[in-house]
Amino acid sequence: MPNAVEVSGLRKSYGRVHAVRDVGFTVGYGEIVALLGPNGAGKTTTLEILEGFRTRDGGTAEVLGHDPGERSSARDLRERTGLVLQDIAVEPYLTVRETIARAAGYYRAPRGVAEVIGLVGLTGLERRKVRSLSGGQKRRLDLALGLIGNPALLYLDEPTTGFDPAARRDAWQLVRGLRTAGMTILLTTHDMDEAQALADRVVLLSGGAVVAAGEPAVLGGRDAERVRISFRLPAGYTAADLPVPSHSANGMVVVETGAPTQALHRLTDWAIRRGHVLAGLTVERPSLEDVYLELTREGAPARAPERITR
Amino acid sequence: MTIAVTARLRAGRPAGPQARKRTSLRLLAHQVRYEQLSFWRNPQSAVFTFIFPVVFVVIMGALFGAIGKSSYFGGLSALQYYVPTIAALSVLGSCYGQLAVALAARRQAGMLKRIRATPLPAWAYFAGLLAHCVLVSVIDIALIVVVGRLYGVPFPSHWLAIMLTLVLGAASFCALGVAVASVISNAEAAPAVAQLVLFPLMFISGTYLPIHSALLNRVSGWLPVRPFNEALTGPFAQHAGADWRDLAVLAAWGVAGAVVAVRRFRWDPRPE
Repeated sequence: MPNAVEVSGLRKSYGRVHAVRDVGFTVGYGEIVALLGPNGAGKTTTLEILEGFRTRDGGTAEVLGHDPGERSSARDLRERTGLVLQDIAVEPYLTVRETIARAAGYYRAPRGVAEVIGLVGLTGLERRKVRSLSGGQKRRLDLALGLIGNPALLYLDEPTTGFDPAARRDAWQLVRGLRTAGMTILLTTHDMDEAQALADRVVLLSGGAVVAAGEPAVLGGRDAERVRISFRLPAGYTAADLPVPSHSANGMVVVETGAPTQALHRLTDWAIRRGHVLAGLTVERPSLEDVYLELTREGAPARAPERITR
Repeated sequence: MTIAVTARLRAGRPAGPQARKRTSLRLLAHQVRYEQLSFWRNPQSAVFTFIFPVVFVVIMGALFGAIGKSSYFGGLSALQYYVPTIAALSVLGSCYGQLAVALAARRQAGMLKRIRATPLPAWAYFAGLLAHCVLVSVIDIALIVVVGRLYGVPFPSHWLAIMLTLVLGAASFCALGVAVASVISNAEAAPAVAQLVLFPLMFISGTYLPIHSALLNRVSGWLPVRPFNEALTGPFAQHAGADWRDLAVLAAWGVAGAVVAVRRFRWDPRPE
């Protein structure tokens, strides 16, 4: 089965700034893929090319078997894709139900209005005017508008910005439920927790190019990195007394190791034999955020938006 | 209702020309319905666009209702003069003014982009807006005519010529409104620019006072507002039919506006 989205060698410049220099990735049917990256990395431009809002300067793009730049298939594509944009753009004087019913009228086979209201958690607010909704409620209405056409592919541009933690959990639950029901989802986010919680695969952009891609758990070799074990040294001992090599940082002893199971065993054995505890014991791998910051930091080779010089 | 149900029943089958026509009509009615809801619930549009011309004709009637036929008003009574020009003013407000401001604001807020992401065809969006504006204008003009009647202005006799002028004028001024919204990128500037163009134009076209300068009349005769005023004044007050020369000038402006609108209109708040 071909992919829902296939992009390769995508390029787009605004004047002299290369917003997208070389972007390529795929999204399989039924997959959730997150585009991650700092502001100006090219996430939104890439999304807008796929959505048909912008033309591309080069490369190939295919969405649900269509070229998003092709005008003759644009309507068919819009029939089968939904999108939730960053801006909250809803008519202030319509009610929640009217706003959704209006959008439903644009599709050949929309979902039920009441069903979608329930899905995004706006039940009970059907007759409220949009202008009296809170910011979070408006975002949910936005999400409802993305879902009303029962799309095969849903674009979510920073979907939970401005949500409180509970609302964010609910939104994640909803997105997972949509995937279970067979929907393909391409989202952008700044939120590492969100990428980790939702995405089957992450595509990390920086300076208009893909710098890493893969499952969140293995992105940038996260799984292969050394593990950090840290704890406070029991009173009366020095680092030299420990059974494994270590250094100290912020008053803690830090052991970095490629064999954490053995190292931990030796350390805890050492402590128990002496009747001590390893206070503040933590074991951590580099987080997705560590990998993200490492791969997108300024001055990382050839990653800054490049200017054409004449 | 029947149309909507039929369209839904046919939605699954390959659409013949008949079914397509019904689906298009349903879509148009759907658009007009929601444009109307948004319009009437928004106090700003309802008051400034709709109420203002009615208040204006009430005031003019109170001030000049007693002035009978005079050469100053081209052989008409003052109110016979003002009912058609204020009717024209209401069309300018609900078509040109409303569209220039509302479309610029909707684009800036991202609403147009959101609409563009749905399968709604562009023609349906604009046809819906046009029908909505014509509807507002018709209701406004009916109220203005009734107020005029209270001040003793007889009901007009050439309804067909009035309807023709009205639809052509509304279409032309809608096209010009969309053109202005296409050229302006900043929504905050839209009301100012729209009014800056409109106010002097209405003034030299005799909307507020009869103009007795041959030069001004010749100039404004080639601009869109005076032909519209005259084309309405004929059937309203002078029991004349359609004035084809005025209608042709009006239509030419409408076409020019449409060309600019089609070439320059953007759905996206940010330039490519």
